Amino acid sequence: MNEIENKNIVILEISNLKKSFGEINVLDGFNLTLHKGENIVVLGKSGSGKSVLIKCLVGLLKPDSGKIKIFNKDINNQSAIELDKIRSKIGFLFQSNALYDSMTVKENLEFPLRRHWIKINQLEIDKMILQALYDVGLTHTLNMMPIELSGGMRKRIAIARTLILKPEIILYDEPTTGLDPITGKEIIKLMIEIKNKYNTGSLIISHDMNCVKLASDKVAVLIDGKCFAFGNYQELKLNTNPLVKQFFE
Amino acid sequence: MSSKLYKNMKLGFFVSTGMALLILLLYFIGKNRNLFGSNFVLKARFENVQGLKDGNNVRYAGIDVGSVSKIKFINDTVVEVFMNIENKMKKIIRKNALVSIGTDGLVGNKVVNISSIRKQSPLVQENDVLITRKPIDTDDMLRTLFKTNNDIAIIAENLKQTIMQINESTALWNFLKDDFVPKKLHSFVFNLDVASKKTNLILDDAKIAIDKITNGSGTISTLLYDTVLSNDLRNIVKNINNAGSQADELARKINILTNKIDADINQGYGPIHALLKDSTIVHSINRSMNNIEKATDRFNIYMEALKHNFLFRGYFKKIEKNK
Amino acid sequence: MQNSIRSKTFFNEVGNTSKFIGNFFARFLQPPYEIQEIFKQCYIIGYKSLPLVGLTGFIMGLVLTMQLRPFMIDYGVESQLPAIVGIAIIREIGPVITALIFAGKIGSSIGAELGSMKVTEQIDAMEVSGTNPFKYLVISRVLATTLMLPILIILSDAISLYGSYLGVNIKGSISFNFFWTQIFESLEFRDVIPAYIKTYFFGFAVGIIGCYKGYNSNKGTEGVGSSANAAVVVSSVMIFILDLLAVQISDLLGFN
Repeated sequence: MNEIENKNIVILEISNLKKSFGEINVLDGFNLTLHKGENIVVLGKSGSGKSVLIKCLVGLLKPDSGKIKIFNKDINNQSAIELDKIRSKIGFLFQSNALYDSMTVKENLEFPLRRHWIKINQLEIDKMILQALYDVGLTHTLNMMPIELSGGMRKRIAIARTLILKPEIILYDEPTTGLDPITGKEIIKLMIEIKNKYNTGSLIISHDMNCVKLASDKVAVLIDGKCFAFGNYQELKLNTNPLVKQFFE
Repeated sequence: MSSKLYKNMKLGFFVSTGMALLILLLYFIGKNRNLFGSNFVLKARFENVQGLKDGNNVRYAGIDVGSVSKIKFINDTVVEVFMNIENKMKKIIRKNALVSIGTDGLVGNKVVNISSIRKQSPLVQENDVLITRKPIDTDDMLRTLFKTNNDIAIIAENLKQTIMQINESTALWNFLKDDFVPKKLHSFVFNLDVASKKTNLILDDAKIAIDKITNGSGTISTLLYDTVLSNDLRNIVKNINNAGSQADELARKINILTNKIDADINQGYGPIHALLKDSTIVHSINRSMNNIEKATDRFNIYMEALKHNFLFRGYFKKIEKNK
Repeated sequence: MQNSIRSKTFFNEVGNTSKFIGNFFARFLQPPYEIQEIFKQCYIIGYKSLPLVGLTGFIMGLVLTMQLRPFMIDYGVESQLPAIVGIAIIREIGPVITALIFAGKIGSSIGAELGSMKVTEQIDAMEVSGTNPFKYLVISRVLATTLMLPILIILSDAISLYGSYLGVNIKGSISFNFFWTQIFESLEFRDVIPAYIKTYFFGFAVGIIGCYKGYNSNKGTEGVGSSANAAVVVSSVMIFILDLLAVQISDLLGFN
């Protein structure tokens, strides 16, 4: 895939997004553009509305105003079926992994594939599951329950589940939170590998500077519901604004 | 996949067991109410159905054979009861069967009883109206029962008093206990025996005398000229004969009676029994004795007369001499 | 002030529950149908509850019989024991006790399961994976409880009547056949049908309340616990309220 060609394809465009809960304006005119093959880290304090942002992106939360265009389609104007089809191209890695406790690893991975409008036979499903597990290096856990796995393994399985539908956009919600720094680094490495292998565009929500440093192509700093600063890691590190600077100290 | 199949099988087993039980339950209830199977309808008319309801059982000879399906008014005094009866009963119930309303137990559900009256009649057909008997009203029954109870109480009270009186009466007990009566009876019977022996002796004498007269008839008849006298004499002899046979009869009777009394006493009949016999015995014995006495008196008179008769004087003297 | 807040929360809760129930009816006939999930839930909710329900049913029948027996003897109606116990179990005790046990087991498990799924974003994950979590989780569970509880109650009735048969035979003696004849003789459709129909409502109440409480669970482990607890409490109370309604309605319809 051509690097320049990639840069020209906009896969996600957020413009003037607003969302408030009661009196509190969590998002207040947020703008962001994501291109194919690009990792953008959204940096912000806890409670600054990062999670709200990505939940708005997949339609889990409805924004008050503003536009979200994914593959040039406004997701707020889509029918349920269309929305599902768009969603199938977005991988979402939840902060708490959201592995289904009542299902085995295999069933967890199978779940997104078994949607009524996806027609795949069992053989292909098994192949895709094994491929996804191979990508995260956990093929031996196929028939284990999520509860039997360690935190890092669960994160990997969750990544595998987001990968299984071969998404073009992956949304990571605090991927390294709750993990030790070494495991966190492994996860970050995995994220980079995935980007290189599948040429996906990713939006990474994090306050972990390791993650920002290693995984980001661009960084957006979310302060007061707005995209306060935007640029690559090196640029922002030189930013003199105290609000931005506090993240990089 | 196989475990999924296994789970589905277990679920299937679970669901079908539950459903089967439900169906079975409903079927049995329905069967008890005769909803399934083929039935026919019989009707009966009552003035009062005493709270009979749809679904109450109908019994023939005490066996449930159907249920009440409908109750409706014919007019202001007659209620018609429709009964669903099992088809097989068509071969058993007759047109003249009697229908009544009863109760299952004293306070149980009402039931319709159909009973046979044991007379020939054709078998019932669909929609026949059967003859009814006025139902036994529990109220009436209880009322009667109450009255009967009162009567029984009164009778029992009377009986109690009677028995108490008997218990309190010393006279009766003394009488029953007394051994004087049997003793008296004994001595009486003994006397009777003596009397009858004496009678025998007397009769023996009389017989000898009469034999002699009979034997000597030839001599006597030759001696007789006077026909009147002779007639008199004939009468006298006849009388003597009569008296003899009467005495004979009496003696026989006395003998029987004595035997009877002897048997009674030997068989150990109680004093009351003896007492019962007593009056008749005494009576008849008295009479017999009187008769015997009278007969003997008369015999004596006749004999005396004979002795004084000049024709027999010689004969009598000869007897006396022979002695 | 405190009272007004409390009553506001109460009416808010009632309103939200009604909306939730409305949602259920609006969606449950719409495709897609989660048939596989419904079967799975039927297996978990129905089949897996059978041992517990059977055990309680058995003990219930046995104890009821043994408790009633001395009084029946005192009144000289010992022979009516099977009939009395049969009617009591089929009409009232079987459905209500089984539904309460069911609420305790299934209501709490649904409340806790959905609560923890909510807290750990599994419900969001489902929605993102192109599955309607309401259909997948709520409708399948509510249908399963609605369809399975009546079957459980029928089985429980049968088991408790068997327990009652054993109870009669501990001190007295009655043949198996005669016992059942006695029971079926005393039962009528009007005993069975309303009792059976109301069990569907019990099942629905347990399912929908468990789902509502779980689906709207607060964040944190405490939220999961309290939603499981609330699911049991509210559905148990609902069972009694529905039972009261059922008896009044069947009375109005002349079934009593």
